[in-house]
Amino acid sequence: MKRSSLRSLPLRAGALLCLAAVPAVAQETDPFNKLDPNNRFSIELMIDSARNAGLPSDALRSLALEGIALKIDGKRIVDRVRREFTLLRTARTTLGPVSDEEVKAAAAVLNAGAKPAQLAAFKTREQGRSDLQAFTIWADLITRGVPSEEASSAISKLWEDGADDAIFYGLWKSVQTDISQGLNPGAALQNRIRETPVRTPQSKGAPPEG
Amino acid sequence: MNEQKVAILAVLTAALLVPAHRELAAQIASKLDAGQFTVNDGTVPSSALRLAPTFEYQTPYATLTAHGSAFVTEQSLQIADGVLSGTFTSPTVYGVRAEMIGNASRAVDERSLGTDQVDVQTRVHVLFHQRGGLWLGGGVARPWRVAVISSADVADAGAWTKVGGATFTATFTNFSFTKVASVHDTASSALSCAVATSGTVPGAASAMRFVADDAAASSACERQSRFSDLEGSVHWELGALELNAQSGYRFGDSYDVTPDSRRWSSATATVWLSDRVAVIGGGGRQPALPLRGLPARTFFMGGLELAYWPISHNTIPVSLPHATLLKSFDLRPAEQGLEKIVIHVGGVETVEVMGDFSDWTPLTVTRHGRDLWELALPLSPGVHQINVRVDDGPWMAPPGLPTMHDSYDRDVGLLVVKDNKS
Repeated sequence: MKRSSLRSLPLRAGALLCLAAVPAVAQETDPFNKLDPNNRFSIELMIDSARNAGLPSDALRSLALEGIALKIDGKRIVDRVRREFTLLRTARTTLGPVSDEEVKAAAAVLNAGAKPAQLAAFKTREQGRSDLQAFTIWADLITRGVPSEEASSAISKLWEDGADDAIFYGLWKSVQTDISQGLNPGAALQNRIRETPVRTPQSKGAPPEG
Repeated sequence: MNEQKVAILAVLTAALLVPAHRELAAQIASKLDAGQFTVNDGTVPSSALRLAPTFEYQTPYATLTAHGSAFVTEQSLQIADGVLSGTFTSPTVYGVRAEMIGNASRAVDERSLGTDQVDVQTRVHVLFHQRGGLWLGGGVARPWRVAVISSADVADAGAWTKVGGATFTATFTNFSFTKVASVHDTASSALSCAVATSGTVPGAASAMRFVADDAAASSACERQSRFSDLEGSVHWELGALELNAQSGYRFGDSYDVTPDSRRWSSATATVWLSDRVAVIGGGGRQPALPLRGLPARTFFMGGLELAYWPISHNTIPVSLPHATLLKSFDLRPAEQGLEKIVIHVGGVETVEVMGDFSDWTPLTVTRHGRDLWELALPLSPGVHQINVRVDDGPWMAPPGLPTMHDSYDRDVGLLVVKDNKS
C-alpha cells in the first residue's frame, strides 16, 4: 500500500463514521423509534386512518408521545391510542362538522365518562359560539366525582340556556371550592347550579359595537 | 483531635463549594437590604444605614450563598460581617432527606481584627407529606480569635409543621466547647476565674484548668463550657405580607450564659410592594453568639429589600422538591402571537411544564421576579393538556385549571386557549 494511502486512511475512516452517524442521530430524534416496530406500525396506521377520516390525528400522535415520555408499555400505548381513535370518531359523528379542537374536547368528555347521546345538545350552536370551555368543565366535574348524569344534565342545560365561558368557569370555581371543603360533589353541583345566572333567550348576544 | 476536626472541616467545606453537575437548572438569585439599623451592642454605630447584599447560586440539590453587611456612616463604610455558605440536599427517599451545610464567616469588629468561624453540619430530615417534619443533626464548628479555643461540638434537633399559611418550627441546639475565661474579659468570665480561684463553687474548679506556662498565666483559665438553646419560630405569609417571629431560652450555668442572653425574642414584617421591592421593619433581642464573638444585642430596623432575581426562601427548615407550593397559574397574551404562562410559586429552585404542545417534553420556566416564573409559548387555540412540576417533583395539574384523568390515568390540567382572531 502506498504511503499516501496509508496517511489518508484515518481521514477516510473518520468521514465514513461521520456519515454513518448522521442517520443514527436522526433516528434518535424520532421518539416513535422507542416503540417496538409492531406497536409503532399499529400507531402510525391509526394516525393515517384518522387523517383520512377527517379526524384530528394530532391527538393520537400526542397520546402516543405522552405514553413514550412516561415510559408506558408499548401495547398499552397502542390500546390507548385505539381507544382515543374510537372516541374521536364518536365525537365527530355526534357533533357533526365542528372544528378539530371541539372534537378533541368532546372526546375528552367521553373519556371522562359521558355518554355520546349527552353530547347531542351541543350539535346546534350560534355562529361563533365555542363549546370548548363547557366541555372542559364537564370533564373536570366528572373527574372530581360528580355523577356523570348530573354533570351532563347541568352542563347541557346551561349550554341550552346560552351560558357563556365566564358562567361555566364561575360554576366550576364554586363547585370545586365546595368539594375541596368536603361537600359531596353531586350536592355541590346541585347547590351551585341553582345560583348560576344564565342569559334568557331575550337577552342573548352582546350589544352591537360602535 | 482538634487538628483532625479542622482537617475534616476543611475537606467537607471544600467539597460543598464545588458546583453541582446539574448546571442546566442552575440559577443566580440576589437581593439587597438597605435601611436604618439601630443597635446597642457597642460593636457598630448605634444607628446607621445598613447595606446587606446576598447572592445565591442555586441548583436543584446544592446552593451556594454569599452574604455580607456593612454600615454607612457620615465618615466611612464599615464592613460588619461576611458569610459564605454551601448546602447540599439529597433527594427524598421514603420521606427521608439528608442535608449537609458548610459555613465560613467573618464578623468584623472595629475594635479588633474580627473573628472567624468555619462550621459543617449534617442533618437527616423525616418529612410527613410536606405538612410537617423532624430533623436530627450534628456538626462541628471552629472559631478563631474568640475566647473559645477549641472546636465546638454542635448537636441539634427540631420539628416543624405547616398550618395554613403559617409554618411553626421548634429547635433545640446544644453547644459544647472549651473557652478561655480571663479576668480581663467579660464580667461573667472574670467571675468564673475568680470563683475557680477561690474554689467557692463546688465542681467549678474541676471544670477549669489554669493556664500556667505563658504570660497570661496569672489572669486566664480554661473552662469546658456547655449550653443549649431552645427556640420557637413562626413564619406566616398572608398575601403580600410576611411575618417572622422567634423566641428562645438558653439553658446553661451562669458561667456560660450571661444574663442578657438567657431569653430573647424578635420579629420582622415584610410587605411586598411589587415582585421585586419590599418594605421591611422589625426589632427585638438577639442572644450572644460566643462562637462568633458576638455579644447579645437589642436591635431595631426599617428599610427596603430590593431583589432583581429574588431569592426563594423556604419557609421550612429543609428544601422540599416535592412540596405543592404553586400559588397561581395564569395564561396571558404575549408578543408576536405567543401565549405567556405565568406561575407564582414560592420557595422552589426549578419549575417545568409539559403537555401536548411540547410533545410531552419538559420545558424549563424562567424566574422573573419574587415567586414569579414565566414562559412564552406558541399555543394554538383549543384545549391543551398541561402539567407542571417544581424541583424535579411529581408532575401535577396546575392550580386554577380544570383537570381530568387522561388516558394513562394521570391528572392533567386543561388549558383553554381562545382564538383571539374570532
